[in-house]
Amino acid sequence: MQPIILKEVLRLKKEKKEFSIITDINNAANYIYSPQHPLPTILEPYAAAIKTAAVKRTNGMIAETSLFIDNYHLPIKVFIVGAVHIAQYFCDFARHLNFETIIIDPRGYFTSKQRFPETKVINKWPGEAFLELPLHANDALIALTHDPKIDDPALSHALTQQCFYIGALGSKKSHASRCQRLQALGFTGAALNSIHGPIGIKLGGRAAPEIALSIIAQLVTEVYKR
Amino acid sequence: MNQNAFDEKILEEAWTWLEAKQSVVLATVIETWGSSPRPVGSRMIINQNGDFSGSVSGGCVESAVISECIELLNNQQTHKKLEFKVSNESAWGVGLACGGEIAVYLEKIH
Repeated sequence: MQPIILKEVLRLKKEKKEFSIITDINNAANYIYSPQHPLPTILEPYAAAIKTAAVKRTNGMIAETSLFIDNYHLPIKVFIVGAVHIAQYFCDFARHLNFETIIIDPRGYFTSKQRFPETKVINKWPGEAFLELPLHANDALIALTHDPKIDDPALSHALTQQCFYIGALGSKKSHASRCQRLQALGFTGAALNSIHGPIGIKLGGRAAPEIALSIIAQLVTEVYKR
Repeated sequence: MNQNAFDEKILEEAWTWLEAKQSVVLATVIETWGSSPRPVGSRMIINQNGDFSGSVSGGCVESAVISECIELLNNQQTHKKLEFKVSNESAWGVGLACGGEIAVYLEKIH
């Protein structure tokens, strides 16, 4: 691989673009393929197969060619409501598991750079923050403050959006009262059932990193269920 | 779309190695058959000293990949394809105990 191609790959990754790297294993030539990088003439005979592999995100050899395709797509985004202690561990695990994390918390004293050195933190009320943040099918939202005036507006927003996972921290009892409040806002039983609450898989632990682990374990399970 | 974009940042690390004036070979799992430890697209980088990062198997064939990469750095070739199968010849030999087969592609970054 030529350093100039590697440099372009890293630029695309940094700018959060989706693309594929095609390598001809007979001569070690590499090509970048993306909406901004059309296929070179030499690869045109294989355009249909390359496009299919890129759309389906299938990494591997293109049948009956010497071409290997490796697809880069964007990681799942996790919106975390509450810059709490659990969120710190969650962001740490998320980095290794390649989820992108974004924290929303209106409480300034929670959202310092020192607590979240590598995570994007939005220091606003969820109602305000989500005005500019539509959620997509590749997004997840976890509410961790267990303060209804912060969590409820975030959950209300998520329930009207396309995100594939919604979770809320709290005991069975507090989740039941949360569901009652959301029902009063007009959400149906099916919508409320889509919230993972109490959040996380049953690990048994009570410490902040253990709860973070149980939440991210559930998230990974849900990713592969889709 | 039943996966996260699982990217171990090996290419970013390759760039920092290049900036440190190291010779780097990129190893990529390009094909697998049967039960193989790492999926297609898994990557590893190796330098002239045999330092490596990432993986192409669960530790089963890394030593062979590293010596092939060092050999590649010492000759004029730009690339090489390696195939590993179930090993029966010697308990200490290189092979995939899991019974799978993998093809690993080596290319110099230069």
